[in-house]
Parts: sequence; structure tokens; C-alpha cells
Amino acid sequence: MNRRRFMTLTGSTLALLGGGQAFAQQPQQGRLRIDPTEFRPIPIAITNFVPGSPADGEVSNGVTQVITNNLKRSGLFAPIDQAAFIERISNIDVAPQFQNWKTLNAQALVTGRMTRQQDGRLKAEFRLWDVVTGQQLAGQQYFTSPEYWRRIAHIISDQIYEQMTGEKGYFDSRVVFVDETGPKERRVKRLAMMDQDGANVRYLTRGADLVLTPRFSPNSQEITYMEFGQGDPKVYLFNIETGQREIVGNFPGMTFAPRFSPDGQRVIMSLQQGGNSNLFVMDLRSRSTTRLTDTPAIDTSPSYSPDGTRICFESDRGGRSQIYVMAAGGGQAQRISFSKDDNNATYSTPVWSPRGDYIAFTRQGGGQFSIGVMKPDGSGERLLTSGFHNEGPTFSPNGRVVMFFRDPGGNAGPSLFSVDISGRFEQKVPTPGFASDPAWSPLLSATAGQ
Amino acid sequence: MKVNVDKTLVASIVLHVLVLGWGLLTFSSKAYIAPEESLPVDIISTDQLAQMMSGQKTGKKEEPKPKVEKIAEAKPEEDSVGKVTEKKELIKTNATPDPPPKPVEKPVEKKPDPPKPVAETKPKEEPKPQEKKPDPAKEDPIAELQKKLDTKKPPPKPVEQKVAAVQPQQQPKPKERTFDPAQIARDLDKRAATRHELTGSALNASASLGSTSGTAVSNVATWQGAFQGAVKRCFTPTYNGQDANLYEADIDIPMKIDGSLASEPVIVAVRGPSRSIAQAVAESAKRAIVQCQVYSFLPKQQYETWKLIPMTFGLKDML
Repeated sequence: MNRRRFMTLTGSTLALLGGGQAFAQQPQQGRLRIDPTEFRPIPIAITNFVPGSPADGEVSNGVTQVITNNLKRSGLFAPIDQAAFIERISNIDVAPQFQNWKTLNAQALVTGRMTRQQDGRLKAEFRLWDVVTGQQLAGQQYFTSPEYWRRIAHIISDQIYEQMTGEKGYFDSRVVFVDETGPKERRVKRLAMMDQDGANVRYLTRGADLVLTPRFSPNSQEITYMEFGQGDPKVYLFNIETGQREIVGNFPGMTFAPRFSPDGQRVIMSLQQGGNSNLFVMDLRSRSTTRLTDTPAIDTSPSYSPDGTRICFESDRGGRSQIYVMAAGGGQAQRISFSKDDNNATYSTPVWSPRGDYIAFTRQGGGQFSIGVMKPDGSGERLLTSGFHNEGPTFSPNGRVVMFFRDPGGNAGPSLFSVDISGRFEQKVPTPGFASDPAWSPLLSATAGQ
Repeated sequence: MKVNVDKTLVASIVLHVLVLGWGLLTFSSKAYIAPEESLPVDIISTDQLAQMMSGQKTGKKEEPKPKVEKIAEAKPEEDSVGKVTEKKELIKTNATPDPPPKPVEKPVEKKPDPPKPVAETKPKEEPKPQEKKPDPAKEDPIAELQKKLDTKKPPPKPVEQKVAAVQPQQQPKPKERTFDPAQIARDLDKRAATRHELTGSALNASASLGSTSGTAVSNVATWQGAFQGAVKRCFTPTYNGQDANLYEADIDIPMKIDGSLASEPVIVAVRGPSRSIAQAVAESAKRAIVQCQVYSFLPKQQYETWKLIPMTFGLKDML
């Protein structure tokens, strides 16, 4: 009896298995899946902002141009040539004829208006339309002084970026860098600051002393950097609004490679001690210092994780310069950089992404300098660009773009470049002259209240 | 004068005459009478015969048929003339409707053929007669044609294919020979050779052969692939971070039978480390679905299978 029952069950099981196989052969029962294998930017139509009066024509065109350039340079958008436009937007309060934009394969449409108010302020309005569904995705208006029209354009760009990608933008941000002029043997290096797109360049120092490694504070109001003064190079704090500067600590030796903590209350840096250098952190309120490393090696280029709990830095404690990660308060450091194809490769200038997902670095190996990213545990290393000399990566506020400087060698000087973290969209950042050592600020609109 | 008579001779003659005479009398041939087959015969007595012939008074009376009815039968001759005209009309009407259904039905049946991977064996033989048709363009006897058909020519095939593209435009047309029924007969024979009846000794390579819905599964796979490709063409997600493979959006797509959307696609679920990014992926997928409609290639006869299309949009291949 039991045997018969066993045979019956076995038969049923086999039948079920057979049925299951037939079921699996019917894909309509499951979900169809789509995974795009190639990245394509979003086709977007950006119409000329309508001037509120004839006098607003110039600024209207300027805003349109800045938005177009921002989105195009991000690599995520493909602005459609205005010469192909079928419809001319003259009133942004009237819904556009979406069929005219569907014909151009536009997925999104930007319309706007710039109007100078009676009180002298500039009113900026914009609408972002989903061409496919015909819905308005965003609609905002801003009031500002007319001289800040570029920043309004950056803010609108960030709005569009966020609506379409789900991520914060990075256009309303600045970059501090070292401006280099003059012949190579007598190069003058000044601290300079500009918008992320290269506009509105401001020089913060006169170039009397050599400056290096400038870094923004989290509120973008201060800059810490190293300057070669009369004595040993020292780490300074520079207030952008007041123009005042002060030395960070008074150490008997060279201090360099400073960087703010995420809360802006501390500055971490390297202190030279004989032939070695170790990491120290100074509380800006109490001015107290704490040693983080104590090794007979060169530990430098520290960078905090966004949550402030960990630090990545470079060290040659293993014989060659590599990247290590340790707790923000010091302790055991873990090496995370391991070259798969070149045992002699070195890693330096690590920078933690504001999103926390990557650490950017400079890699030297095989006669080339490369800029790359890896996960904080050292996995997923990916080189974004390689060449004769690439160095000094810095992340955009949203962690999607890395800026660095490239020196082609010879009599030419370094220039700034940006590349997205996929390595697809690399482009030169316009600067008045040679430029090096860039550092990206946080998003200005996000830190305005700080 | 004495005549010597041999006595023995006389005796011999006499004896022979006697024997022959006796033989003629006793062995004379009689006329051959074929033996009559024996038939079963019922023996009827005279009384029974008399009773049969006397008849019965109670028997049924046979009514004679009226001869007048034959006059009315003359009318069908006129009807036969009318029938001729009616037949002509029927021929005309039948001629027009017949052709349309044939071309309509044929493509429908042929469409599912290409996706059949099983049919790979058949084309080996089918293309042959097509390729060889331009070959016998010269005045060849039937025997030569038969030889050409029988002999396989693997090497010349590529040459024929290359030349075939040019030849039909220049020479073959004028050299095309007269209609050759023997050629067609052989083609038909060859085609018939591909149809092997199943005896159980070998498995049929075409699993769907003989089944009215044998291509249903492959058809479903075809429309799904086509639909995926069509939507993918418009799907332009912007996120390409290293954790892109973690982002997914489940979207249900209600469809009309004409291939357009019955209503707006419904975002069922989104997954990923950042909800805003996952939502943007889903919105991008929705735009792609709407932008790429109408999906008119979807087979209407299988509408029930794609009335609601559940899809998952992912980014695992973005990097």
C-alpha cells in the first residue's frame, strides 16, 4: 500500500515537474525585462526665455545659454538645436503644442521668462514640461539682483536636472583652484575661485606666495589651503567674504594637505616630522590638535567620509604610496588600493565622494597618471581617464562628476578637466590661464541657510 | 510366268489391315460434350404448379399509371437552358472571391514559419529548385536536367548565388525555356520526399508539424522580443552609477487591441538605494512606453496574452 502510494506521489511529482517546465516556457507569464545596454542622453528642448521687456532680451538669452550649456556639459542631456524648433514660445503661461516637440523626439521642454521688476530686481520664471505625457514637471519663479542672473540660470538647471534624474544637481556651485601664470620657471600661482562652468573668476590671493591644495569649507564661506610663506609652509584659513586669513595651528614644521571635516568644525592635515609626516586634526573652536597616525612613513592627503566617521588617506607605509581607510579618530588603517595589473602602481590623493559611494584617486603606473574611482572597500576600481599627467580629483556636490587637472608636459601648463563617474563625458573646464588643484564647493543653494 | 509372292509380306499386310480396321471401329472419336453443371432444382409437383397459375382473388389490384403525366415532363427542357445562364453567373461570382482569401491566408500562415528554428533542415532542399532554375537556361534535354537535379553541386552553389543576382537581369530571361512539366514533376517529387511519415522509428524534427497551433509559442516569443526592443529604443535612463544594477521599476502596461495604450502605464513598484532615483527611472520608463506607442506589430489574435503587459525596467547593463 505504501509502495503504491509512493508510486502515485512520484508520478504526481513528475507530472508537476513536467507542467512546471511547460509553464517556464511561456514567458508571457512573467514580467518582461528591459535593461538598456547603452547610455543615451535625454533629448531636451530649451526654448529662449521670453523677455518681459525689450531691455530683458540680453539676460533672457544669457539664461537660456547657461542652462543649455550646463545640461549639455553634464552629459546626461542632449539639448536640441533651436534651429529645428517648430513652435516659437511667446507666452509661457500657455501650454505648448506638444506634438510640435514630439516631432523633434524631445522628452522634455523648458520654457521661461525674464522680467525686470519696478524695484530693479529680476524676476525669473521657468516651466519644465514632460513632452510625452504633456504634464508640467516643474514651475518656479525667482527674484534676484540683475547681476546674479547666472546663478539663477544655474539654479534652474539644477531644478531641471533633479526633476529628470532624481538626483540633486551640481550647477549652482563653485570651484576654487590655483591659477598659474607666467613662464614655467617663474610661475605665479594665485588662489582663484569661479563658477563650476568657468565663469565669474575671482582671484583670492595676489600671487606673492606659492599656494597649494585649496579646499572649501562645508558652508562654502571659507577656504583652507597651504601657502609657502617666509618660513615653513603653513595651512591657512581664508574667509571669502571678509578676505581675512589665519594660520591653522602653530606647529614646528610644515603642515600641508588640509581638508575640512563634514561639519566644518575641524581641519585634518599632514604635519611633517623629520622625514615622515603624520595626520593631525585640529578643532577650530578649541584649537586643540589630535594625532591620528604615528608611523615612520608619509601619511598625507586625508579626506573624510560624508558622515565623518572614517578617513581615507595615502601612505607609503607599505613601501609604495597606497590608499588606506581608518576611523576618523585614528586606529588601525586598512589598505584598499591593490592594482590588479601593475604591482608597481601607486595610488594617491584620495577623495571621498559626497555621496559616500566612491573614493576618487590618482593612480600612477605604466608611465601614466590616471584618475579613477573605487568603492570605499577597494572594490570596483575603474579608471576614468589616463594620460601623461592627471592629478588632484575632486567630486561635484552630487558625486556624479570628477574634476581634475591635466598637465600635458613641455612648456604648456596644466588645465582643468571634468569627467563623469562613468568616464564617458570628459571635457575641459574653461579657465583664464593655466589652472591646477581644483576643489569643488558644496551646492551653494543647499548651504545658503548655513 | 510365275510371280513370287512373299507370304510373310502378305501376312503382314493382312495383319496390319486387320489391326487398323479394328482400331478404326473401336477407337473412333466421339463429339465432346461439356459436362453440365449441376444446379439445385426444386421439384414442383403438378398440383403446386396448377395452384400457382390459378391466381388469387384477394390479391392487390395494380392501378395503371396515368399516361397524362408524361406531358408535363416536357418543361424541364426549358429549365435546362436557363440553368446554363445561371451557371455562367455562378462562375463569374466565384472567380472573384476565390483569389482574395488565398493570398490573405497564405501570408498569415507563412509568417510564423521564419521564427521556426526547427525548419532549418527544410530550406536545404527548398532553395535548390529555385537556384537551379536559372541554370538549365540552355537547351538541355530532359535527361540532362534530370542529371543536374540528381547530382549535387555544393561547390558551384556560392557561384550561382553570386551570379544569380546579375544573371536574371541580363541573360536568363531571353533564354528561359518552354514549360517543362517533367521538371515540375521532379520538383514536386523532391518536395514530397521531405515529408516523412512518422513510423515511430525516428523522432520528427518539427515538433509543431501537423499541429494547428504549433507556432503559438514561438509567436509569443516574437512579439515579446519585438515589444522589448521597441520600448528599449525610447528608454533613456540617466543614472549610470556603479550601483545602477540595484535600481528596478515594475510597470504594468494596459494595452488596446490596436497596439496603443489603453491607459497610462502603472508604476507597480520601484527598487533601489535612492527612492528619488528609482522613481526617476520609473518615470523615464513610463515616458519610453508612451513615446514609442503604437505597438501595432502585436498579434491581434493573441491579444489576451498582451492585454496587460507586466514589465520590469532595470539598469544592470548600464555600466
